[in-house]
Amino acid sequence: MLKVENVTKYYGDFLAVDNLSFLVKPGEIFGLLGVNGAGKTTTFRMIMGLLDCSEGKITLDNKPIDYSVTDKIGFLTEERSLLTKLTVRQQAIFYGRLKGMNEKDILKRLDELLEKFGVLEYKDKKIKELSKGNQQKIQFILAIINKPKLLILDEPFSGLDPFNVELFKNEITEMSKEGSMIIFSSHRMEHVELFCKKLAIIMKGKTVLSGDLKEIKEQYRKKNIFVKGDLTKKDLLDIDGVIDVVEHADEYEVKIENIDVSQRVFKEVSKHKNIMKFVVEEPSLNEIFIAKVGESYDK
Amino acid sequence: MINKLGFLTNISLMRKIKTKWFLLANLLIAFIIIAGLNIDTIITSFGGDFNKKTNVYVIDKSNQIYNVFKSNVDSASLLGQMSDNFDTDQKESDFVIKKYNKSENEAKKILAEDEDAIILVFNSTDNSVLDVKMITQSYLNASKFQILNTALNNTKKILMIEKFNISPDDLLKISEPVEIKREYLEKDMSQKGENNEQIFGFLFPVLILPFFMLTLFLVQMIGAEVNDEKTTRGMEIIISNVSPKVHFFSKVIAGNVFVLIQGGLLFVYALIGLFFRFLVGGDKLGGVTSEIFDVLKDVLAGGIGDKLIYIIPITLLLMIITFISYSLLAGILASMTTNIEDFQQLQTPIIIISLVGYYLATMSTVFPGSLFIQIFAYVPFISAILAPSLLFVDQIGIFDIIIAIILVIITNLLLIKYGLRIYKVGILNYSSKGLWKKMFKALKN
Repeated sequence: MLKVENVTKYYGDFLAVDNLSFLVKPGEIFGLLGVNGAGKTTTFRMIMGLLDCSEGKITLDNKPIDYSVTDKIGFLTEERSLLTKLTVRQQAIFYGRLKGMNEKDILKRLDELLEKFGVLEYKDKKIKELSKGNQQKIQFILAIINKPKLLILDEPFSGLDPFNVELFKNEITEMSKEGSMIIFSSHRMEHVELFCKKLAIIMKGKTVLSGDLKEIKEQYRKKNIFVKGDLTKKDLLDIDGVIDVVEHADEYEVKIENIDVSQRVFKEVSKHKNIMKFVVEEPSLNEIFIAKVGESYDK
Repeated sequence: MINKLGFLTNISLMRKIKTKWFLLANLLIAFIIIAGLNIDTIITSFGGDFNKKTNVYVIDKSNQIYNVFKSNVDSASLLGQMSDNFDTDQKESDFVIKKYNKSENEAKKILAEDEDAIILVFNSTDNSVLDVKMITQSYLNASKFQILNTALNNTKKILMIEKFNISPDDLLKISEPVEIKREYLEKDMSQKGENNEQIFGFLFPVLILPFFMLTLFLVQMIGAEVNDEKTTRGMEIIISNVSPKVHFFSKVIAGNVFVLIQGGLLFVYALIGLFFRFLVGGDKLGGVTSEIFDVLKDVLAGGIGDKLIYIIPITLLLMIITFISYSLLAGILASMTTNIEDFQQLQTPIIIISLVGYYLATMSTVFPGSLFIQIFAYVPFISAILAPSLLFVDQIGIFDIIIAIILVIITNLLLIKYGLRIYKVGILNYSSKGLWKKMFKALKN
């Protein structure tokens, strides 16, 4: 179990992370969200021991993280951290050996993963000869080459097309099922929503929202209603409790203050003809994120 | 962690050695060294008569000058050989002096067949003691001209002395060089040894040139490697698996093992060059390289050879620990820089320090006993070049070298203690903003 307890980090006088706490249990996927400069990478670097905490402590299975446990951790950095002059095979041996693996096991696992990600033909190519997307795949493969107990992924989906995002997602989900603790950051809320059960949103190093994704969405009072039928945008905006109406191709997205307003909207919509769709949905994580980060900005 | 140190050291070393560039560079170096040591053989193998003597035809209209001139040419020619070749045993002149009794115009016909020949016409006049006309086919070689000029000037002096009725034997004695008999109060001293020591004083900086070259290799390699890992951000993955201390030592060890291997290869290339030299009998061909070997042979045969028994190991020890100093410094400085251009600028002072040592070593024979130079022989980074050359020419003693070694060891320990603090912060720092503040803060921690 990864435990981050009241962690604070100062760079000189600048407060980068402010009293951050969260917990990731085996098999859990934890999302750390925030805008640029929110303190996500600093948090990851503190977990990896690359930076010392100014205050607070970080433990893995109740033990401080030091070089005796780093063999069990996988780390994918936000920026490419590959030695571009090496071939994929050389790079895998380099990072794998640093994880305490022997060369035979490294090459066996490398073949397995390269095949899984459809890049087996790049095994003997130099990293610098690969496209950005393929470099990201290799970086991800190297991060999981040691089947880590704790996997830290800093913006893992950057530079990937939807097909490869799906590949990553499947692998991450599979690892989670096998009991790995996974913690990752992303700007793309739809990626987080895909497979993340727990999350924390941080803003200027401070936690503005954290907990179980389902609970967060349930607790979030504002909901969305999707309506399709013979009615105008004005008809919907005139209903008391409606915040906004977004017009899509053939339907309206009605944003309401809380779930109670949905009854009023249903009553009003029922008065119109040819109503083909009326669905009340939870807000997207993106909406919650913007709302929370916006609130935090306001404060 | 020791396994990881071994692995990192090995991979760092292999990245330097298992490259086609290392192979290519060594092939070139080997070729240059082997060819350099056999340059005289190579030159002569392309053809040419290197022992050809120059014919000098003398038309002596005064009938008084020829004999005096001939003896002076032999003396001047031998003096020239002695200063050029350090060979006191050579007795033959480069010129064949012939008296020519026919006219000047007849003599000029000789030049059509023997283009290198020289015609000298001596006219005795009232106004000047010796009036000389020199006729050649084209420009004359400077050293040949110098020898003839010296001989002519001496001849003129002798002709003046002759006016005072001095016998020809006495005249020859006057024109002969003065023989200096040397006496040494210390035992096992000889004039040959004295000459060799003076020559070796100049030669030593040449022999330690590989150290200077290897220092450059070392600094550049460690800097480039640390910088590469930093700029590609591979450093974050590495440092998340091994401590900065292990990473630092792996670079230092790999860098030093590399220069020792490279130094060993240079030595092997030199041995191969010498083997070829003796195989083709090139040592008998003369030339600069064979003169160096003659000096070395004399040095080893004489009393100085005994000194080498302790000078060589102590110099090697001083060089190895100085290599470590340079590699520690290069690693620390490289960790502070954020790109290779910054490191290239930062390595300039390191190179200059090494150059200072090199120049002071060459100047130590020009300013023997200079306190200034002797003080620098203790200074770490410089001492490896300077101290052994001063020890060899007896300007400092073995005790001074031991002090220099102790000072380098202390410097290395300080670099490890304080440099590691900078390294730990530096390798994960990607911004040059507030760099010095960060480094000073790291030093205090």
